[in-house]
Amino acid sequence: MRRRTVLQAAPAILAAPRIASAQGNARTLRFAPQGNLANIDPIWTTTTIARNHALMVYDTLFGLGRDFQPKPQMAAGYEVSADGLAHRITLRPGLTFHDGEKVTARDCIASIARWSKRDVLGQRLDALLQEMRATADGAFEIVLKKPWPGLAWALGKPSANLCAIMPERVAKTDPFQQITDYTGSGPFRFLAKDWVPGSVAAYERHGAYVARDEPADFLAGGKHVHFDRVEWRIMPDPATAAAALRNNEIDWWETPLADLLPVLRRNRDIAVEVVNTAGALGFLRFNHLHPPFDRPEIRRALFPAIEQTSFMQAALGEDPALWQVPAGAFTPGTPLANDAGLEVLSGPRDLEAARRALRAAGYDGRKVVLLVPSDFPTINGLSEVAADTMRKIGFNVDAQVMDWGTLVQRRAKKDPPEQGGWNVFCTTWEGLDVSVPGSHQPLRGNGPEGWFGWPTSPRREALREAWFSAPDQAAEKAIAAQLQRLVWEEAPFVPLGLLRPPMAYRRSLSGIVTGGPAIFWNVRRG
Amino acid sequence: MFAYVIRRVLATIPVMALVALFVFSLLYLAPGDPAAVIAGDQATPQDVERIRASLGLDRPYLVRFGSWVWGILNGDMGVSIFTNLPVTTMIAQRIEPTLSLMILTLILAVTIAVPMGVVAAWKQGTLIDRAVMGFAVLGFSVPVFVVGYLLAYVFALELDWLPVQGYTALSKGFLPWLENLVLPAVALGGVYIALIARITRATMLEVLQQDYIRTARAKGAGQGSILFLHALKNAAVPIVTVIGIGIALLIGGAVVTESVFAIPGLGRLTVDAILRRDYPVIQGVVLLFSFVYVLVNLIIDLAYTLFDPRIRY
Repeated sequence: MRRRTVLQAAPAILAAPRIASAQGNARTLRFAPQGNLANIDPIWTTTTIARNHALMVYDTLFGLGRDFQPKPQMAAGYEVSADGLAHRITLRPGLTFHDGEKVTARDCIASIARWSKRDVLGQRLDALLQEMRATADGAFEIVLKKPWPGLAWALGKPSANLCAIMPERVAKTDPFQQITDYTGSGPFRFLAKDWVPGSVAAYERHGAYVARDEPADFLAGGKHVHFDRVEWRIMPDPATAAAALRNNEIDWWETPLADLLPVLRRNRDIAVEVVNTAGALGFLRFNHLHPPFDRPEIRRALFPAIEQTSFMQAALGEDPALWQVPAGAFTPGTPLANDAGLEVLSGPRDLEAARRALRAAGYDGRKVVLLVPSDFPTINGLSEVAADTMRKIGFNVDAQVMDWGTLVQRRAKKDPPEQGGWNVFCTTWEGLDVSVPGSHQPLRGNGPEGWFGWPTSPRREALREAWFSAPDQAAEKAIAAQLQRLVWEEAPFVPLGLLRPPMAYRRSLSGIVTGGPAIFWNVRRG
Repeated sequence: MFAYVIRRVLATIPVMALVALFVFSLLYLAPGDPAAVIAGDQATPQDVERIRASLGLDRPYLVRFGSWVWGILNGDMGVSIFTNLPVTTMIAQRIEPTLSLMILTLILAVTIAVPMGVVAAWKQGTLIDRAVMGFAVLGFSVPVFVVGYLLAYVFALELDWLPVQGYTALSKGFLPWLENLVLPAVALGGVYIALIARITRATMLEVLQQDYIRTARAKGAGQGSILFLHALKNAAVPIVTVIGIGIALLIGGAVVTESVFAIPGLGRLTVDAILRRDYPVIQGVVLLFSFVYVLVNLIIDLAYTLFDPRIRY
């Protein structure tokens, strides 16, 4: 054999196993998720990736449709008594767990009970609950002390914590302890033996899953699965993930870096599309416990200087399809989004007015500690613009850069900034979470018991309470408008715009369900 | 010799104890809170507190250290705070890719760098020598991740010869295993090749001036025999030393290389654990790396006797 022949054959020899592997992948969906699936109990943790895992492995009693309204999912029927206190749920026939056991009312009751100890809306149920009892093997009743029309929404919302239906034996785990039995009820079975945290998480189709005989409708409708196996391949390096997508080594990348979008768009085999239309709302959060942001007039002084477009461009680039401004207190595009008083942020920007307001408020020039995460490109972008904006109007900003692991510890500190505390940080919240007052943590005014920043506002708490009892959407909208006006008055946070980061996938995929996070039913190859 | 080995093995015990104390204390003092990471962005401070308590992270330093050391002495490295998997299981899942990468890099580096250094010394001052030294400077100067991206771009995206990322276990076939490791090994090997080539050249230059080389030439020994039998063997001790020291480089480089090529090895496990503050995993991996380093140094010391019979323990 001639040397040249050998050299010419070498690439073909090297490529041979890859061709074989690609052929074997036709029934496998290869997905690069947003991060590492490090823990898989959607009640124990509120991380988005654990919730995404849970959407595959667990079914829910209700699911939100594209209109963000709850529709029966595992439930076949749902009735509310005339006084609004008794909620009666009947399960669909044929539902089974991954171990083959039938899903019963007892499983649902135990799952709801565990969820209700951790989730913000679950805790609402816990407070209102009179009793939960099985009325038959496949039916149960939730009796409340006072009416709550939003219960079905709470049971079906996809945001953390998801009310995942687990076998009773699993759901009896202490909600502050991690589950060790991964038996689920959803359309995919988690393959624990194949799980290498930080590298791969694999799922196979749950053959006995009974999908609703309907087309997919976001988290409602039929969850028909067209792949035998789904592999989550964790890729910490965005450039590697982009290259893997271009090289057909993965099919779908959940969070392409904004800087890499032009490269991906130039590839005719790759589609770049906004799948999660509810997106994530950006926030600048103040610490209300310490000066200077313990005073509303100083917090409000920032409003005239906030250019939401600049924040969005820093986070996701200049393509306006990837973000939406103006954004108020609620997720734009969802039913409760409104424009009450929105001119505070949508009117002409005026740095001089902001400076005047800051001077008038008596800001004494003290240092303002801004926490900046270095390892979250999106939030890092928001934080950089926040620092610049605040400096422009006269704040003495001390931007302290740290990794996210340090930031989440630091922001929990209630100490003064000079003793290791903080004054302000930027973050994002899943759009569906902050689309209603009930699960909108930054909006709350429950003081030291509340989310980081700890504002106290009896008026906002009262309006939130009123929302739970709102009889219809018109009443909910009226409350949301009042709440938004209060946000401009009390300034617990500054909305920075709605981020709609796109996903990138190979055009060989079709049927991707839009509306929220990446979900794996309905999607098929070809 | 046997007594020496025993003495050296026993000497590793205080070293490992110091490493354990140092790593544990450093993590204890470092900022960050795994409970806050677990709880997620939407948890309240009360949730974080309860998780911290449930994980035992609110216990005093000495209690936690004592409990960890007791576990280690009983062969139990603890359980990952996040995955709930035993640390030993997580290490076992990751050890093959890292070991494969390091062995392949080592073979590649020694096979390329030693002849390069020998030839450069032989052809001192020529274009070949300058080219070898130029390559060495490049190998030292260009970061591993840059080499990795360039290799992936050329050989995976442009030529489509090799995959961009991932790892295939050796049990699934030699060729798939190799095709996943070629680019990472070349990327990681760059600096290692440079290091070994330079030290080989420098040592060989010194050895080639010795009287016994002149004698070998006078006896009519061939150039290959002079270089590789007479000179290289006498230059081996510093070269082997550098190869041993270079293991530390490989461990550090594996962290970056495994991230760039998405290889599920111990390097990535370390980075992930550090970012999440998964203390038991960090402690376990650092302890393992330290043990490997101590062991490699012992092997290198013993290897000296193979190359220089004058060395006796």
